[in-house]
Amino acid sequence: MTAAALPVHQARAKGWWGMVVFVTTEATLFGTLVGTYVYLRFHNAHWPPQQLPKPPVLTPTLLTAALVTTSVAGHIASRAVSNAQRERAWRSLAAVFAVQLVYLVWQLHDYVHTIHVYKPQASAWASVYVTLLGADHAHVFVGVLLSAWFLVRIRSRLSRYRVVGVQAAAFYWHAVNVITLVVLGVQLSPYL
Amino acid sequence: MAVVAPAPERTHIENLERVWRERPGVLGWLTTVDHKRIGLLYFWTTIVFFAAGGLEALLMRTQLATADQRVIGPETYDQLMTMHGVTMIFFFIIPMTTGAFGNYLVPLMIGARDMAFPRLNALSYWIFLGAGIFMYSSFLVHQAPNAGWFDYVPLALRRYDGGLNVDFYALGLIFNTVASTIGALNLIVTIFKLRAPGMSWNRMPLFCFAMLAASLSLIFALPALTTDCIFLELQRKLGFHFFDNAHGGDALLWQHLFWIFGHPEVYIIVLPAFGIATSIIPTFARHRMVAFPLVAMAELLVAFIGFGVWAHHMFATGIASTTLAFFAAASMMVVIPSTIQIYAWLMTVNIGTPEFRAPLMFIGGFILFFVIGGLSGIMFAAIPFDQATTDTYFVVAHFHFIIFGAAVFPLLGGIYYWFPKVTGRMYDERLAQLSFWLTFAGTTLTFFPMHIVGLLGMTRRVYTYDHGLGWDAYNLLETIGGYILAGGLLLIAFNIARSYRRAVPAGRDPFNGGTLEWTTTSPPPHYNFAVIPTVSSPYPNWDERDREEDLRRLARGDLVLDVGHETPESTVNDALPSAIAEMPPESPWPILVALTLTIAFFLLLTSHYATAGGFFALTVLTLAGWNAQEPNEVAA
Repeated sequence: MTAAALPVHQARAKGWWGMVVFVTTEATLFGTLVGTYVYLRFHNAHWPPQQLPKPPVLTPTLLTAALVTTSVAGHIASRAVSNAQRERAWRSLAAVFAVQLVYLVWQLHDYVHTIHVYKPQASAWASVYVTLLGADHAHVFVGVLLSAWFLVRIRSRLSRYRVVGVQAAAFYWHAVNVITLVVLGVQLSPYL
Repeated sequence: MAVVAPAPERTHIENLERVWRERPGVLGWLTTVDHKRIGLLYFWTTIVFFAAGGLEALLMRTQLATADQRVIGPETYDQLMTMHGVTMIFFFIIPMTTGAFGNYLVPLMIGARDMAFPRLNALSYWIFLGAGIFMYSSFLVHQAPNAGWFDYVPLALRRYDGGLNVDFYALGLIFNTVASTIGALNLIVTIFKLRAPGMSWNRMPLFCFAMLAASLSLIFALPALTTDCIFLELQRKLGFHFFDNAHGGDALLWQHLFWIFGHPEVYIIVLPAFGIATSIIPTFARHRMVAFPLVAMAELLVAFIGFGVWAHHMFATGIASTTLAFFAAASMMVVIPSTIQIYAWLMTVNIGTPEFRAPLMFIGGFILFFVIGGLSGIMFAAIPFDQATTDTYFVVAHFHFIIFGAAVFPLLGGIYYWFPKVTGRMYDERLAQLSFWLTFAGTTLTFFPMHIVGLLGMTRRVYTYDHGLGWDAYNLLETIGGYILAGGLLLIAFNIARSYRRAVPAGRDPFNGGTLEWTTTSPPPHYNFAVIPTVSSPYPNWDERDREEDLRRLARGDLVLDVGHETPESTVNDALPSAIAEMPPESPWPILVALTLTIAFFLLLTSHYATAGGFFALTVLTLAGWNAQEPNEVAA
């Protein structure tokens, strides 16, 4: 009796907008981290310091390439929930989750190694490098949690809350993938 | 058909009462998601912090009243000074403007039944409270932050400041930024998505534009502070290098990041004050704001330019002079949107038929203080002048005219202006006007002589000074002014308390205000509006035909939404109805999340990282519990 009186116009849900604003502030956070990296780079003659081996190239590039594919699966999941295709959404989500998980475990394994080799207690370069990578991994970790959560939640049925949730999570994955690409660019910058 | 059937509008209102009612008693306050109750929680909590910050200021002024005093020692003075700044900025003005005023008023002004994310709203309050308790617990161990509110390195590094003082500061601020970010996010999405049908951007109240501009600034500015504090803690606790030049870091990095946050912060503080001025002036001048779209754009422009001026806090640090010239020019640009607003306020009063009741008097004081503080502000854009006066009391005078005169005065006026709406009772006008003159005189007497002692060479942050420097009389005047100011503020508190007890009914709309909050009862019901209003101008309460139409729609049951816990969502630009949002009911999860986070931050402070990690994991589990409770499942 009430909704019928309203001519309904298509628009993104408030939950999706909430994620957009959240991602905006997170992207700004990474902006300050990358800005710090660049700022300190111009205060140092050798960046990274000479005695350190240059950061690895191949593994992070391949892993990031794999991670970025989750944007496709994430997009499919987001479209599927909008069209009430629950099983299709679940399968896409499972793909997202699997890739993110493999990426994260591999990266964390390498991260422990990075801390031991580059020693953030020894130079400003290593401090920024380790902090930047750590912040990126933390964001992927949140992405894994979101994937896992919605895998559980849409196993049985969809609701408007869950549909908007998956759409918002998909937006988050896209954003984290872009952020990871930027972080990779910073990692590779000593080779330029 | 029965003759005794109640009128349809009665039935709708009874339904709404039943659907929106919250649990009574203390438990109801702990689990509330009602933006008005959360706004009141914010209000009273920030008032407590305001009193604490004021007390710290009075202790400092007492110490400085005459030369060579020994009321408090240097270490205590440092802690009081730092906590005064931290409290007033982070635990009074931001939560008071966005948390209390924004929370309470924005949904009412845009015709919504709650904020976009009611549970997040509660979370932002409880985290804010947790961060405040965290920060103030530092006094219990006599290790309150002591390196100034902007906490410059290298002084703030472990080598020079070895206690927990700066750790309380850095972790407390990281924690507090979470609350501010959530609050700003909620305001932005509420303003984007929950505006009443018809409230396109050009019809949105200027108060909401100001809150939007402040919230957007928070979203873009707070990360710089968070990053800065994370760097500081990594360096202090784990031995990383960001700020020490010996290992390739840079001490100025702290200042850059701090002021990339810190200057937008000034506008975050003062924009809501502009918004309050643009609410009070049209009401008491009986005239819509002059140059409405220009003022809206000026509010957003102030926020935008605010991001390009941070280095004017660093003119004396030795950075390149071409850089300085850029920042000096950008700083002068702020004059343009500020002046647009000042002229718009003055012209509105001039064109209208102003009635100088207490709220408008506070706005008059605000405009005067804003002009004085603005004029001394422009002086700093002249780099040589800045370099001569930096770190003197001239700077202290300038920013107190802005922060107290321009940001707090409208808040005081706003407290009187909306007191009848929030309580349904009228304040005492004569006492209110007296309190205005007391605070006005107190503010002038406290802060104006600081210009002079500053030019005479008195530096900031000194805990005492010698006789015979020509500073004694001015300092004594400032201290007397401080006590007069405190008296004025206490008189406001007394007026509020007495008016609440005497309960002179105020009615729905005692001042003939123009915006939607005056269309509903005082105090507003849990559901804010019995029928969702439709809007065809920026001053919908002055559109009598629209409001009569509301009553007819209530009788028809059109746009009443009384079957569930619901509010309409609309399109971002034109505010056309797009969906019915199901709002969550009261929830215990927000306070539990805040509790686990507070414990985790105390554990970080004491370097129990593994246990802290456990509590962060508990936070995630609590969030899962929160998310599992979907609004539509319970509302059914």
